[in-house]
Formats: sequence, C-alpha cells, structure tokens
Amino acid sequence: MKEALIKTEKLSKSFSNGGTMQHVLKNIDLQLYKGDFTVIMGASGAGKSTLLYTLSGMDTPTLGKITFEDSIISDFSQDGLAVFRRDHCGFVFQQIYLIDGMSVMDNVLAAGLLVNKDKKALITKAKELFKAVDISEETQKKFPTQISGGEAQRVGIVRALINSPEILFADEPTGALNSKTGLDVLDTLTKFNRQGQSVVMVTHDIRSARRGNRILYLKDGVILGECDLGEYSHGNVKRHQKLSAFLNDMGW
Amino acid sequence: MKKSFLIVRSNIRKSVGQTTAIVVLVLLSALMLNLWLMLATDYTANFDRYHNKLNAEHVTLVADENKDEFKKFLSKTVENDSRTSEYRLDNCMCAESTFCYNDDEIFTDNSIFLEKQAAVTRTVGKIEILEEGNETSGVYLPLVFKNTDGVEVGEQIDIIIGNHKMTYTICGFFNSIMMGSSNCGMIEVVLTEDKYTQLEDMGYAPQSTLCSVRLKDKQDDISYETWLSSAVLEDYPNIGVFNNNYSTVAQARYISQMVCSGIISAMAFFVLLIALVVIVSNIINYIQVNMKNLGALKAVGYTSGQLICSLLLQFLTLTFIAALVGIVLSYCLFPAINTMMIQQTAIPYTMRFLPIPLLATLVVLAVAVTFAVWFASRKIKKIEPIDALRSGIQTHNFKRNHIPFEKTNAPLNLAFALKNTMSGVKYNITVFITMLVLSLVIVFSGLMIENVIADITPFLNLIVGENSDSSVNILTEKEDSFLHAMEDDSRVEKIYLYTTLDVSHNDGANLMASLCDDYSVLDNQNLIVDGRYPKYDNEIAVGAKYAGEERLKVGDEIEIAANGKKFKYLICGFTQTSYNLGRDCMLTRKGYERLGELTILNYHINLTDKTDIDAFNQEVKDKFSDSVIAAINLKTTLENLANVYVSLMTVIVIAVLIISAVIIVFVLYLLVRTMLNNKLNDYGIMEALGFTSKQLILQTALSFMPTTILSVVVGLVISSFIINPLTALFLSGIGIIKCTFTIPILFIVIAGIGLVIFAFVIVCALSLKIKKIAPRALLSGE
Repeated sequence: MKEALIKTEKLSKSFSNGGTMQHVLKNIDLQLYKGDFTVIMGASGAGKSTLLYTLSGMDTPTLGKITFEDSIISDFSQDGLAVFRRDHCGFVFQQIYLIDGMSVMDNVLAAGLLVNKDKKALITKAKELFKAVDISEETQKKFPTQISGGEAQRVGIVRALINSPEILFADEPTGALNSKTGLDVLDTLTKFNRQGQSVVMVTHDIRSARRGNRILYLKDGVILGECDLGEYSHGNVKRHQKLSAFLNDMGW
Repeated sequence: MKKSFLIVRSNIRKSVGQTTAIVVLVLLSALMLNLWLMLATDYTANFDRYHNKLNAEHVTLVADENKDEFKKFLSKTVENDSRTSEYRLDNCMCAESTFCYNDDEIFTDNSIFLEKQAAVTRTVGKIEILEEGNETSGVYLPLVFKNTDGVEVGEQIDIIIGNHKMTYTICGFFNSIMMGSSNCGMIEVVLTEDKYTQLEDMGYAPQSTLCSVRLKDKQDDISYETWLSSAVLEDYPNIGVFNNNYSTVAQARYISQMVCSGIISAMAFFVLLIALVVIVSNIINYIQVNMKNLGALKAVGYTSGQLICSLLLQFLTLTFIAALVGIVLSYCLFPAINTMMIQQTAIPYTMRFLPIPLLATLVVLAVAVTFAVWFASRKIKKIEPIDALRSGIQTHNFKRNHIPFEKTNAPLNLAFALKNTMSGVKYNITVFITMLVLSLVIVFSGLMIENVIADITPFLNLIVGENSDSSVNILTEKEDSFLHAMEDDSRVEKIYLYTTLDVSHNDGANLMASLCDDYSVLDNQNLIVDGRYPKYDNEIAVGAKYAGEERLKVGDEIEIAANGKKFKYLICGFTQTSYNLGRDCMLTRKGYERLGELTILNYHINLTDKTDIDAFNQEVKDKFSDSVIAAINLKTTLENLANVYVSLMTVIVIAVLIISAVIIVFVLYLLVRTMLNNKLNDYGIMEALGFTSKQLILQTALSFMPTTILSVVVGLVISSFIINPLTALFLSGIGIIKCTFTIPILFIVIAGIGLVIFAFVIVCALSLKIKKIAPRALLSGE
C-alpha cells in the first residue's frame, strides 16, 4: 500500500479572463504517492502547470481542498504556503530561474539556509549534490550567466534537493534545453527518484514522460486517465509501447 | 522630434511612480528657489519702494535741542554740504520710553514723538497711515506694534515716558521707513494735536529737533551721518544727538528676511542636488533595464543623439511642469511667509507676479537638469546595437561575489541584504547623498531647537550680546549712592557698568561703543571672536565685520573720535554683536573718558531667581526719582524681541523637517520602486523557494541600512563641525562672524537614530508591494 503525500478533493481553479471566468481545473480528486515519479501530461492549455503549482502551494485553488500529509495547505496564508514550500517541496523550472546576482553555490545555499541552521553540514551536502550532478567546484563559484543551460538546470536540481524535500516538482525541466543536456537532466531526476525522492513532473514530451512510473493525462481541466508504467529502465520497449498506447487512448 | 515625443510618452507611461517622485522633488526645489528669489529680490526692494514712496530720508538726526539758533545752524550745515539733496526740520520730543500692553513691555532708547499733522505732511520722511479708527484723540503707532502683539485700534496703551506713565487710546497704525521699528535705532510715535500739546506742557520729554536728510547719492549715508553728528556736537557739545542711516536701517529691518531666505536658498539647492542625483540614478537604471530596447531602436536607425534628446525632452518636460506647479505653490505660500516676515520688517508688502524670479528658477532648473541628463545618458553613445540586443541587461558585474553565504556568519536575511547593498552602487550613491544632506538639516534643526526655540538665551547672547535682568540708566553724579544701595540690596546678585554710545572712526563710520569697567564680569564671554576684551585705557575691541571691511588687524592703532576729541587706541581684539550690524567697538570706561565725560551711565543688574524685576525697577525709580532716567526689565524686553525670532525659527524648523520627511519618502519610494521592478524576477524566485514576504521586505529594508547608517553618521559628524560656521555665514549680514551655539549631541544622536528608523520603516512600508508578487506570476503559464 503506497503512502499518499498529497490528496486533493474537488480541486478547481478558475481565472478571470477579460470578464469571463476560465475554468482551468475542474473538481479534481487526486492522490500523489511517496516515492513515485508522477508525470502529468496533456496538450497545451490542459491545465498541467496550473495543477502542478496548485499542488505545490505556489498557487491557491479557487475551490476544493489540498492536503499534504495531515495539513490542509489550501487553507494556508501566502506566508504559510512559503514555509510549506521551503520545508516540503523542491522546484525545478523550465526557465531554471537562478538568481543572476549570486554565484552558483550561493543560489543553492540561499534555499538551504532557509531550512538548515547547520551551515557546515549544508555546504557538505551541497557539494555532494553538485558532485552527483557533475558540477565542478570551479563552476560552483561562477554566476548563472557564465554557465551553460544544462549546467544551470542541474544547479536548479541541486537547489531543489538541498533541503531534502518530500516532493520535487518539475515543470518542463527539459523544455529549454537541447536533447543531450535534456537527457542529462532526466537522468539526474531518475537517479534521485531511485534513491527514494518523490517527483512530480509536468511535460508534453513523450521521452521525458517515459521516466515516470505513473502517468496522469489531463484534458480540459480534468484527469482523463492514468497509466501505471512501473519502474523506469532504459531501453524497455514494452514500457514505451504501453505509454504510447495510453496516450493514443487519451487522444494525444 | 515627433519620434522623440513617442519615446518620451512611452517612457513616462511605463514609470508613472518614478516620474511622480522626480516631479515632487523638482517641484519642491522650484518652490523654494522661487520663494528665495522673491524674498531676496523684490521683498528687499520693497524697502526702497516705500523709501521712495514716502520720500524717506537717508540720514536721520534727532537732537534734544529746538531753539531757533540751533535750527538755523543745522539748516546751514546741511544746506552747505554738496551731498544734500533735500532736507526737513521738524519739532518733536524725544525720550526713552517703555510701551506696556497685553502683559508685554517694549523698551526703546529713543522714542520720537511727533504731532500727527506734521508727521503726515512732512516733505521728507512722512508717514503713511495704514489703519485708523474714529478716535480723534490719542496715539498712532508703527505697524510693528500691531503685528507683534496684536494691539488694535481703539485699545489703550500705557507709555512710560522717562519715568512718567501716560495712557493713550490707539487711533491707528502707520508705516515709517526710517523710524518704524525698534531695530531702526529710534522709533516714531505720532500723537494727535491735543495729546502732543499735553505732553509738551507736561515736559516729560525734551523738546527736540528732527532733521531728515535725503542725499544725492544714498551710498554717502554712513559718512554723512558721522559727519553731521560730529558737526553738531562740535558746536553743541552738551546736547544729546541720536541718528541713523539708510544702509543700517535697510539691513536691520530685514534680518528675519535675510535669515529666512538664507535657509530657504540652502534647502532649495539641497533639494535640487537630491533631485539631480535621483534623475542621474533613474537614467542609469533606465539604460540598464532598456538596453535591448535601446539597441533595437539604434538598429532601426535612431541615433544616440536622438535617444539622448528623448531623455532630455522627457526630463525637461517634467521639470518645466513641476517647476511651474512649484512656482504657483510658492505664490500660494508667500502670504503666510509675508505674515511672519512683516512681524519684524513692519513694512507692508503686497505680493505681485515677479517674472524675473520665475525665469531664473526655470533657467537654473533647466540647466541643472540638462547637465544631469547629459551626464547620465552619455553611456547611450557606447551602446552597439548588436551587443545590446544579444546581451540585454547587464545588471551585475562578475568581478566579485559579495558576502558569499559559505563564508559569512551573518544571518541569512542580513547576508541577503548586504549582498543587495554591495551590488547596488547607484542606490547607495543616491541614499548616501540624500541622507548626508538630511543629516545636515537634522543638525541645523537641533541647533535651532536647542539655542533658539527651547532656550532663546544663546541666540540672544549671539544677537544682542550682553543681557541681564534689569538695566538702569542713572546720572553719573548719583553713581556712588546708587552703587551703595545696590550693594546693600540682597536681591542683587551682580551689578556692572555696561553703557553704549556713539563714537566715530577716522571721521568716517559711526561705531556703537560699549563701555565696561571690567569685561571679565560680563555674563557673555563669547563676544570676542579673536584676541581679547580691552583691559587698558588705550585698548579697543572692534566689530569683526567692520574690521574685515576696513582691513584692520589686531595690533593696529585706530583713531576714535567723540565729543570733538580724538584718541588713538590699540586694537586688542575683534568683537561681534548685531547692535549696530557689526559696526561696533568696545572700550574700557577709562578708555572712553579720554574722549569725554560720561553724563549718563547704564548699569546691568542680575537679580536673584525669585525677584520680581518690575517691582525691583519701580523701587529703584522711586528711590532715586529724577536721577534714574530709565529702569528697564531687560529680560522681558529681550524675550518680547526674541519672540519674533522664536516663532519664525519654529516655523522654519517644522517646515524643513516636513520637507526632509517628504524628500526621504519620495527618494526611497523611487529607489524601492526601481529595485522591485529590477528584481521582480529574483523576488518571485525567492518566494517560490520559500522566502516569506516578511523576509523579503526585511531584506529590502536592511539592504538600505548600511548606506543609510553610514551617511547619517558621516553627515551628523561633519554637520556638527560645520553647522556653527554655516550659521555664522547666514548671520554674517548682521555682523556675526563666529557662532558658538551648543551642539545638542543627545538630540543629534536621537534624531540620527530616528532618521535611520524612519528610513527603515518607510522602506518596509514601500516594500509592502512585495506581498503582491505571486511566485506563480513569474513562471510561464499555460
């Protein structure tokens, strides 16, 4: 029996657009489980990123309830959500969003120091993570504009993992990268997931989606279907075919 | 030009907040510049306008003699001098007087009583009745009485003439240019015919002659005044003569105007400096943020000149609009300032449109802003379109990673704030200059509160020189018995001779000489600014301002004349008092007696704390009856005189503190707004990572604090050293060379802390906008 990390009940999100309400998420009931690599797929405009950011406390729902472990985070204030994000979540963005004015190491420590008071231990952990994603000591001293996109995204992953979050949210993490560096990033995410890190990733790229063990397909604000792919293994054709068939069924 | 207008419109639309802040600063600067120019030009010229309108004299001489023979002599003397243009002799009465009303007392050495018809119809130096009621018998007073203490037509006033109290009904108020306030050295009092005759009959005030002379060249006034009084005293050595001149009166009646316009001009230039720094900072930021846009504009064919021109057009348009609004506001504010000023000048002023101050204000602002825009926008010339399009914003140089988290022990929020501080050079410069200037304002305000508003004594010591509780004028022949009586009176703490009278230097300028037996007994030992007080009978201390004008040095010998006698004295020091606007000197009593006998002595008396000064003076008058010419409550008199300055300074201090607060708010608003716009992305990322709004607000506020604290500390320390010389500079017109006001250290420290806390609170308040930054907004949506 898998342990649920996040639960939603009748989750809805609407935006006002030029006076008319646009219902992006509609009555979603969902559970995200510990240790899973959940992938949210769907066509452009289906509500993937909105769902991700609402689940992660980056945005608030219009209606419905989101529970993280035993806490109803949909009732949290903005500052309460900020504390929730720092304590429980890690984020990897498509545009990476490192702070230009700070070195690579400082970008990671800025997030780490929010939670960890033991700076020595934190620096040791940051260095381990950098090593794990193949970021050299020299690169750690550089500024974000002085490194490549792939390096920057790996730094983004280190930043997301520095506080050992219960769940890592990734929004199109390879969207701004070329195929080689994109693959590196996916490998990194897979590696951490295998070590027990829960991951929720939004993508519309089938190659990226293969990394997940659970695929949710979103269409017009509702979860149209889901597919259990099992653990990722490189070159597992059967698994790839299953995903393709699922996506075909969903009208992908 | 049309293209430039399009860019200007776009720039202004994109930065309404920043534009508003700059407009407010330029507006404040224009307001104060125009006020200063109005005060410094037309307000001062108002004296000349009235002087001409009333055909006022350039030299006034009053002699307590009115025999025909004397008048003939005076006429002949004046007529025969080629410098005389026209003159007028009138009968008058002259006496020391104390005006008592509304629980106040004003003492004047020389009150000149004139009959109303004569005063109104004099061909030279006539008065202008400004207000009068239906009363047909009583007194007309100079406007200063109405302004200062609010006595009204129809009310009663007691005037103690010599030692005799007279009660008059106030029939009206008038304007007299050369005798319209106690600052003129003599004050005109106009009586209706019946009251004049009554006073003549009573004989309380000696029959005198008032001689008013207009000169062909008003610049001859000082030498003419000295020459005329010397000529009179040479032939009539036993009569009392009082005189004044155009230059001294013109300055004396505009002391408050001079102080006020000096402070306003300083504030105007301070605010302008801050506005220019803000404009420069704004343009540099604009170029950084819009590097790509500027590159694109260059790529499509705009020249650097056109882009700079558009910035120039933008800021000059704002400057002109703000300046015009500021100038209009200065006209709205001027009546209130006029009401304050008129309490001291006592000369009515009708506000009118003044094109020259307006043009000067516009030109000064336009030139300053043009220079600032040119200085800040030169970088546009170096922008290569391709580089700009490729690299876009260069907000950070990669020379150093300031305050690395790995190495610092500072708490996270402070470390973040310090990072921001270290990387924000342009913010730091703007904050530093603003806070530096405002620290000077704080120190000035503290100085004025401590030395003028809370306790006027230091200001009086500076302006008036020596003061005490009571001042008694007594005939020299009764000196011994008077001193014995005072020694036996337990209420008397200290008594010492301190007499003032006129002498002349080199047959030129009249100097007001102070005489004392022993200057070491004076309460105010700060009257000497260089050298020492005279000790021996051949020594003299000369007014520092006059010494500067005459290039006199300590050790020089100067010839002083009085009573037809001359003697050479050695200059032992320089003094500063504003009695005679810097034309003063100090002699020992024995030193003066080389020039003549003293017939009347003035003794200053300090009384024990709970002594009723008025009751004491009355006892002295009763005891010595005719031997005491006057016994004045000097404390009350000086306090009344000082009230004008206290209220003026209170208003000025409140105004400069409010203006300072407004400046801080707008400068910080501009900086915080710019910072939030530039770092919107960073704030979004940090919120996404889990930083709360409170943490980000705290970081923003803390990032301004190192520069704020540094500039406030540096500003307060430097200001504390320069504030006294600066104040002396403001007061140099009235003879003040060295100012020794107490620096209120505690106030300055508390105010400095208050300034830092105020800046912190304001930045926190202005940063509340961070709460509206949703991390979601910076992330690409569906």
